[in-house]
Amino acid sequence: MLNLEDRRSRMIAVMADILEIEPREIRGEQRLREDLGMDSLGSLELLSTISEELRIDLEMENAMEIQTVDDACAFVEKHYTEQHGATGAQA
Amino acid sequence: MRALVIGATGFIGLNLVDALLAEGIEVRATRRPSSPTIFLRKRKVEMCDASLEDVEQLKRAMEGCDVVYLAGGYYPRYSLDLKAATAEGVSGVRNACQAARAVGVLRFIYTSSIATLERTTDRLATEQDIPETQPTGSVYRAVKWSMERELDSHAARGLPAVTLLPGGCIGPWDLRLGTGGVLVQTVRGMLPFWVEGTVALVDVTDVARAHVRALHAKGSRFCLAPHAADFGELLQLMVERYGGKVPERVDAEVAKRLADEAEWEAAPRKGRVAFPRELVDMILTGQPVSCALAEQELALRFTPLPEALDRAHTFFTRFHYLSAPTDKEGQRHAQPGR
Repeated sequence: MLNLEDRRSRMIAVMADILEIEPREIRGEQRLREDLGMDSLGSLELLSTISEELRIDLEMENAMEIQTVDDACAFVEKHYTEQHGATGAQA
Repeated sequence: MRALVIGATGFIGLNLVDALLAEGIEVRATRRPSSPTIFLRKRKVEMCDASLEDVEQLKRAMEGCDVVYLAGGYYPRYSLDLKAATAEGVSGVRNACQAARAVGVLRFIYTSSIATLERTTDRLATEQDIPETQPTGSVYRAVKWSMERELDSHAARGLPAVTLLPGGCIGPWDLRLGTGGVLVQTVRGMLPFWVEGTVALVDVTDVARAHVRALHAKGSRFCLAPHAADFGELLQLMVERYGGKVPERVDAEVAKRLADEAEWEAAPRKGRVAFPRELVDMILTGQPVSCALAEQELALRFTPLPEALDRAHTFFTRFHYLSAPTDKEGQRHAQPGR
């Protein structure tokens, strides 16, 4: 079962895979579009992949408001916690 | 009845899935490792791994399906390499057709484009206006024409194929900002320029409905582009309805050069271009198209353009590509739900 740190690591790993860079090059305050060059398609791929891995349903209507890496992690974490509990115990 | 949809995660594909499910048709959808399936997973579909590069995978995906929809053929994002783009596009169609012939599907419905049509000057273009040779001056038109001819070669060998030729599609689920990108950028005041010419548009839900009705069509080609408009007037209409700004007009050669330069800059990082060369070419070679055959044989009643634009605008607002409109007191209007 993935804990909070694991889930963030998976997000960063998927991001790095999409952007074809090393995970260590990604920092929380970086902006997805301006700093990392991730377009809306990349963001869609990121959220789609991670939602499938974590078995969560994301409210994509609000996904366009994600600006930074930390925003993306918080967006996913909010849905994960609501649907599975903080530890995944409800999964 | 069960349908296989290749390209179900895309713009036309998602609308097609909805139209098929509404008719009670079971849907199996192919997915590639990079396909964003998040919206498809919210629908009652069976998913299977298959790529247009792998005939065996395609055959397995088609087993047990009565009809195959190729709604996700190759789309040349950049107009930089005609030879490579043609090879990739034709290869995907060939593989899908080979698999469909091997499995023996009852119908193969292919989503092409009005970009493949010959230009006419004295009348509306129709399904029969097919250039004898690959069009020149536009990578997009050339690639789409070659893909269609590949399909025709398999139809001549027994594949029960129907080709649908939509214009620029507008409506919900344009998540990658295809034709809808013009609307979003205009309203946001970010369209970099415009060029004189004609666009022929269609509501994407009409296109999806046409795909379903093509299951029982006698004809083999149908144009789906009922709304021909001067591009400048279309932009003005968008601004009048939703706000935004019509940018500076440039002449054809400048538009081509700006688009080409932007694509050369964007291609190494796989970036998107605000006004791609494909769009420039489509506007410059755009023409009114007769949709009489689709209206008659597929019993289509096309959605009026303002209504189609409104639906697209509602979708882009719902997903925050655009801000919700405000009234004079600055209060945001509630957006309709799903």
